[in-house]
Amino acid sequence: MRIMRGLSLRHLNKTETAGPGAVIPIARAVLVDMEPKVINQTLSKAAQSGRWKYGQHSSFCQKQGSGNNWAYGYSVHGPRHEESIRNLIQKEVEKCDSLSGFFIIMSMAGGTGSGLGAFVTQNLQDQYSNSLKMNQIIWPYGTGEVIVQNYNSILTLSHLYRSSDALLVHENDAVHKICAKLMNIKQISFSDINQVLAHQLGSVFQPTYSAEGSFHYRRNPLGDLMENLVPHPEFKMLGVRNIPQMSENSLAYSTFTWAGLLKHLRQMLISNAKMEEGIDWQIRPPLPGLPSLSKMSLNKELHFNTSIANLLILRGKDVHSADLEGFKDPALYTSWLEPVNAFNVWRTQRAFSKYEKSAALVSNSQFLVKPLDMIVGKAWNMFASKAYVHQYTKFGIEEEDFLDSFALLEQVVASYCTL
Amino acid sequence: MGRRRRRVDPADAAGALPAAITALSRALPGGPSAETFRRAKFDRPEAAPALWRLLFHVLSPRPADDAAALPTPGSAPPTHARPSALSPASSKAQARLVKSALRSQGYPRRALVQLPEDGSQGSRELLLALSWLLARGPLLERLLAQIRVRLGDEMPVCECEVLASPGPPAPRVEADGCVDIRHLQWLMGKLRFGWRNLITSQQEHCALLGKVHSYTRGCHSDRSLGHLSVTEAELLRDPEGGRQLLRRLESENARLEAALEWRRRELVFWQWMDTVLDACPPEASQPTFLPRIPERGAGELELVARELQALQEELQAVVETRRAAWEARVGGWGPGWKATQRASEEAVRQELTALQRAWERGGGLAQPHGPHRLVRSEAGTLGGPGLRATEVIKALRSREACLEAALRQLQGQCRQELARLVGALPGFIWILPPGC
Repeated sequence: MRIMRGLSLRHLNKTETAGPGAVIPIARAVLVDMEPKVINQTLSKAAQSGRWKYGQHSSFCQKQGSGNNWAYGYSVHGPRHEESIRNLIQKEVEKCDSLSGFFIIMSMAGGTGSGLGAFVTQNLQDQYSNSLKMNQIIWPYGTGEVIVQNYNSILTLSHLYRSSDALLVHENDAVHKICAKLMNIKQISFSDINQVLAHQLGSVFQPTYSAEGSFHYRRNPLGDLMENLVPHPEFKMLGVRNIPQMSENSLAYSTFTWAGLLKHLRQMLISNAKMEEGIDWQIRPPLPGLPSLSKMSLNKELHFNTSIANLLILRGKDVHSADLEGFKDPALYTSWLEPVNAFNVWRTQRAFSKYEKSAALVSNSQFLVKPLDMIVGKAWNMFASKAYVHQYTKFGIEEEDFLDSFALLEQVVASYCTL
Repeated sequence: MGRRRRRVDPADAAGALPAAITALSRALPGGPSAETFRRAKFDRPEAAPALWRLLFHVLSPRPADDAAALPTPGSAPPTHARPSALSPASSKAQARLVKSALRSQGYPRRALVQLPEDGSQGSRELLLALSWLLARGPLLERLLAQIRVRLGDEMPVCECEVLASPGPPAPRVEADGCVDIRHLQWLMGKLRFGWRNLITSQQEHCALLGKVHSYTRGCHSDRSLGHLSVTEAELLRDPEGGRQLLRRLESENARLEAALEWRRRELVFWQWMDTVLDACPPEASQPTFLPRIPERGAGELELVARELQALQEELQAVVETRRAAWEARVGGWGPGWKATQRASEEAVRQELTALQRAWERGGGLAQPHGPHRLVRSEAGTLGGPGLRATEVIKALRSREACLEAALRQLQGQCRQELARLVGALPGFIWILPPGC
């Protein structure tokens, strides 16, 4: 699993099509990995496109990996390379007129991505305490091959919960399914998966208008997103859903209406579906007027996904005519936040990618409760029998740290469950 | 009340009043026409909306930029009026704010409070209120200072103005029943994010200002400044902008001249206002107070003093009954309550004085308050009068340290209190949220 970290790509200068002699925009990013292979691949792939590239000196790598050991990444690589990484970041920060924040892309279950990523995030918290931080983390495959992936996951999550402002989670299983079912790809490579991820991120962070009826672009999408979705310190888990997502061939034969897209997206949210195929339409929001405790148990039975807050991003033709009432239904939300505060929408008439109309939904909801509970449970079972723990204590992660992580994540699960 | 005695030249008398009113209407930003004033004396309804608007503008605290959006009498409204956060959505909102702001400043006339909020009536009462505000303090000067055309890039060095202004009346949210604490935490979090985003934009602003200042070094005709401000750079870049700036300066000049004119002629206005007051039906119970010039000396003064005393006694009585009622409601806290209350008041007073003394020690800024123009100078040059950024930074840092110490102390007290509560409830395990 590779780790790539990007910083506030706001100031990616826009140029027209890059002909010969044109200035190619350089990403405001820093790439960090303990092995050189992936970084080299990434750098050359970007440069090959001819349309953008990474800075020549914006990457840091070593010759030695982390062996999927979170403790090694956090306690050994971290302090050892702290200064070099910090300098790289500082250089990029100085090039910004306006630093809205950091966007950190990392995995959760490996050694370098997770351990070093958590270390660097903590560092950013200390150095740039006023800047926003969003970590985009890759949730491992349920049937992953790394035997200690659950240990790594809980350590990553607990540390990030303390030092980051928001965790944007992408589940490998879900993305894999999207590639298989929606994009109809037979042999799914990391490249395909990354394409879906990039599409989802782009659909969220590409420019949108700053206010209803205005024609100025939003100057700080990261800040606005955070203010809308994660102001509560206990609820930081965010997920993205996109519609439509399909291969180019299918696209030619499809037409879309906002009503249809939004109806599907809403049901995807309610039923915790990750894509627009195979949605369970039986799941309905609970009836109003129920006292909250019985509503909670009813939701659990119905597998209804309660949201805390939602951000809907619409791009394309006739975007102002879209009817959003479905998302303003108080039944979708928790009792302590009204739809007027919990629901926000961003719009732009500019179409995204090849889709004439497309919608993305970033939500802070219960969608990760089950997967998180499962990982915590598995990790706890391993921990209870002290399996592999010595590999962590060898590098400075004590049993206390494990226990703290368990406690924190149990609290997160409990908070989300009692919505 | 700050009005000087002046002899009125009888030859002036006939044209003096209209001239005074015209001057006032031209000096007030967004001021209603002189005709409106005259109609208001007779409580004509058509004069009411303009006066409601004027009072709303005068009483609501807004950023100075909005002044550019106000129409001056006789000029067309600007094309790029920036929407104000408090731009009146309805006349009802305007009326409500006017009433509550006047009440909080101590305006005594009940008749104003009783005016309907659709903005259709009450021009005479509004005129009285306006005069009350004008007589109380330097209202005109404050308004003119707010809409002053600023050529330089300015930054405030203190927060006195912000702290002194009453602020917009907070929207009352009636909490029916319990409030979920998660909602409160949500709101606190939003505030924190808003604050961080604000810091980011401020840093961006400073970075860009720095660029403009360093790129335009040597371009300013005034050697002591040396470089251009953003407004001045825009002036050079865009001639249309230059023309607009010129128009703004000219209209500001016209307003200032009208203000001076007003100051010369205002005595006549006050005499006229007495007649307006007389034209009102007598108020039911409360004594009304419009400042009057004591023309005959001691006798009048004594009358005023006696009226003041009567009012004070009345207020005292009302306050006592209210306080008794509140204390009864709060419940029998016992005699110890008064003692603890006094003790905590004393403690707060001591802390405040300690804080102020620490601020002064850390380097109180000798310069006047209010915004200062930013000038970037070469390292080593002494420069002209004015504050050095290093001094301001030093003073602000010491204040920050004081406030942080106070915050830490308060947090420690909260933690002790929490620990005490935790100990008091056996059988509970408290899990503090991450970050505590």
